[in-house]
Amino acid sequence: VRVIFNRHEEFVAPDKVNHPMAIELKTGVTRDGVMTARIARLVMDTGAYASDAPAIAEIATMMAAGPYRIPNLKIECHTVYTNKTPAGSVRAPSGPQIAWAVEQHTDEVGRSAGLNGYEIRRKNLLGEGDVGPTGQRMSAIGALECLDKAAEMVSFSAGASAGEGLGLGCGWWFSFPAASSVELKLNTDGSATVITGATESGTGAVMGLALIAAEELGLDPGRVSIVYQDTEAATWDMGSSGSQTTYNNGRALIAAAGELRKRVLDIASNKLEAAAEDLELVDGSVRVRGTPSRGITIAEVASAAFGDGEILVKRASQDVVPMPENFGATCAGRVVFPAFADPTFVCQAARVTVDDKTGVVQVKEIAAAHDFGKVLNAEGARGQVEGGIVQSIGYGLTEGTQYGEGRQLNPHLLDYKLQTAADAPAIAIEFVEVEGASGPRGGKGVGEPPIIVAAAAVGNAIHSATGARVRELPMTAPRVWRALRERRK
Amino acid sequence: VSALEYFEAADIKQARELLGRHPTAAILAGGTDLVVASRSGKRALPGSILDIHKVPQLRGIEAQGRGALRIGALTTHADLEASAEVRRDWSALSDASALVGSPATRHLGTIGGNVCNASPAMEAGSPLLVFDARVELMSRRGKRQLSFAEFVVGPGRTSAHDGEILTAVVLPPVNRRVPVGSAYLRLEYRQAMEIAVVGAAALVAVDGRGKCRFARIALTAVAPTCLRAEHAEKALQGRQVTDDAIAEAAHAAADAARPIDDVRASADYRREMVRVITSRAIERAVARARKEPSR
Repeated sequence: VRVIFNRHEEFVAPDKVNHPMAIELKTGVTRDGVMTARIARLVMDTGAYASDAPAIAEIATMMAAGPYRIPNLKIECHTVYTNKTPAGSVRAPSGPQIAWAVEQHTDEVGRSAGLNGYEIRRKNLLGEGDVGPTGQRMSAIGALECLDKAAEMVSFSAGASAGEGLGLGCGWWFSFPAASSVELKLNTDGSATVITGATESGTGAVMGLALIAAEELGLDPGRVSIVYQDTEAATWDMGSSGSQTTYNNGRALIAAAGELRKRVLDIASNKLEAAAEDLELVDGSVRVRGTPSRGITIAEVASAAFGDGEILVKRASQDVVPMPENFGATCAGRVVFPAFADPTFVCQAARVTVDDKTGVVQVKEIAAAHDFGKVLNAEGARGQVEGGIVQSIGYGLTEGTQYGEGRQLNPHLLDYKLQTAADAPAIAIEFVEVEGASGPRGGKGVGEPPIIVAAAAVGNAIHSATGARVRELPMTAPRVWRALRERRK
Repeated sequence: VSALEYFEAADIKQARELLGRHPTAAILAGGTDLVVASRSGKRALPGSILDIHKVPQLRGIEAQGRGALRIGALTTHADLEASAEVRRDWSALSDASALVGSPATRHLGTIGGNVCNASPAMEAGSPLLVFDARVELMSRRGKRQLSFAEFVVGPGRTSAHDGEILTAVVLPPVNRRVPVGSAYLRLEYRQAMEIAVVGAAALVAVDGRGKCRFARIALTAVAPTCLRAEHAEKALQGRQVTDDAIAEAAHAAADAARPIDDVRASADYRREMVRVITSRAIERAVARARKEPSR
């Protein structure tokens, strides 16, 4: 079966719409800026079908708490049906819109205590040993480091230059716990083949598996090929969602490569007459540590094994990682996410200009600091961050589906305005590498976090530039212009 | 799918003959409106198409006597954008050509197609109005010229008859005894692939004592066609070019606009933006007349 949607159908048919939300936030804060309590009420429009809304409502409540140490929380999320196109899981579902509200609110809370955007976050972000909103005790997290780095990258303490605005946004996300499996083959020419049910949707996550296999087996990544996309024939993986491909399929691959590596070393140990623990896998060869001239190529090992009637192939699966300790439910219930497994943290800073006569906002610069745990594929991670930022700016400024008489009015790319390359700001990226608890080599999910806070940082930067707050998404030129006029009144 | 008739003209003579035989054929030049509209499901391709994009005589920019400029119908937006002559003497049209769609649209799309498509948001429209441009039409019976203002009669509608083809846009001489400058600006929500939400062109002549001797102002995307804002012109003409005079002209331009609500903007916002964009277009045109740097 093959289903192809044209552009119009892409807009109106599938549940690939961000949930429109009404978000109310109220936060108690001491005179010196310590957050003590929050009441939040979220109303989430899921359109004509529930789709993933029950699980997303849970995530939404976690996002409304945010990556902060707030001891008292009362958060409700109400999911409502309407006659619109169903909403569902779109890159970090519920993340960008709630962070946009929470992070602007955070700035306002800070202001009420006389603190700037950096100070209020520095005082309240989750740190080592703090307890999250569902009883999860945090360890090995880089939230504060992300804040410090992003603020430093834009010289936040020096303030915005004349005619510009500077804003911060912090957020968190999770790595989706799921079981996953993979098959790894060592061929007689010394190349390797990964056979996986993980899906490549253009993010490069499956392509990045070659790097993991190559590193484990001491091969050049170019010697690793990947057979993928046939989810019926290949071993099971959940699919490209929840920032989970590398996190889970990567764990399975490391397990498979470990078994294969052990077998290669055993065979080479016999051939080289050296103990396996004295051998290393480097540049496509097995060598005796400290005596590089004593070695055998991996191709020779695989050929010898084949000659002896053995095929070097390993299949491995990894079970779902356990949830961190928690109360057993989020504020919204107990469907999927009673806690954020291997949580990731982000802080992004935005520098913008606002045309105060027209309301047109231009984002000049985004500085991004991400805690993805140990970064396994820096090139791929940077690609995800850049793409997420540009997408988030579009979400924040120029996109947005409009409805009239129950129908979408702009289901095409002329009037659903994505950001173009000409709009993309200068982007600087830093990684805070704090090893995660359960992921492959301490890595965490990368795909979704980059989209969560750029729109929020832009909202705060608009306020920094103009003193006006736009309380509706997207922050289109007409809405910014109206907010500027209301400010003047 | 109904049968499609397609004819391709190799030269101007063949184009005229084919059009004589198939007077209702739609004329295809760059295809950036006709083909894109059909692919997006906005408008089906017409049953009969006459493709003129290979006709050599229809492309090119040519200076004519006494400072007029003749622009062949197949001249692309990119050709206009690259022309030093257009940039220097017809800056508003140069500005507009550089803003159309994307680089791909600018290299395929033509001035003739832009004019015949007659969109109220067409970038070339307001510059052509301030320059009093004329269009040249050809049919089997001969040639005729009429003003661009008379040519475009409504959204997507022109006064061309069946069997007529637009061969050129002609810019008549501009009186340059007094320093002249022109500019086209539009309000845009993003930096590329944009369509005018509001646009304005201004042409001004400013003498050595700062007096506006001549003004032409036209507006884009705020009425069924691009339109002249004559009250705005009167507010400037014969007066010292001061901030007040510019503000008054911009205000008059906003009064002349008849904007609608649509997905791009509300009518109220558009009207306010006419004021802002018109005043910026006048300021830039004045700065160019005064040869201020980097305008």
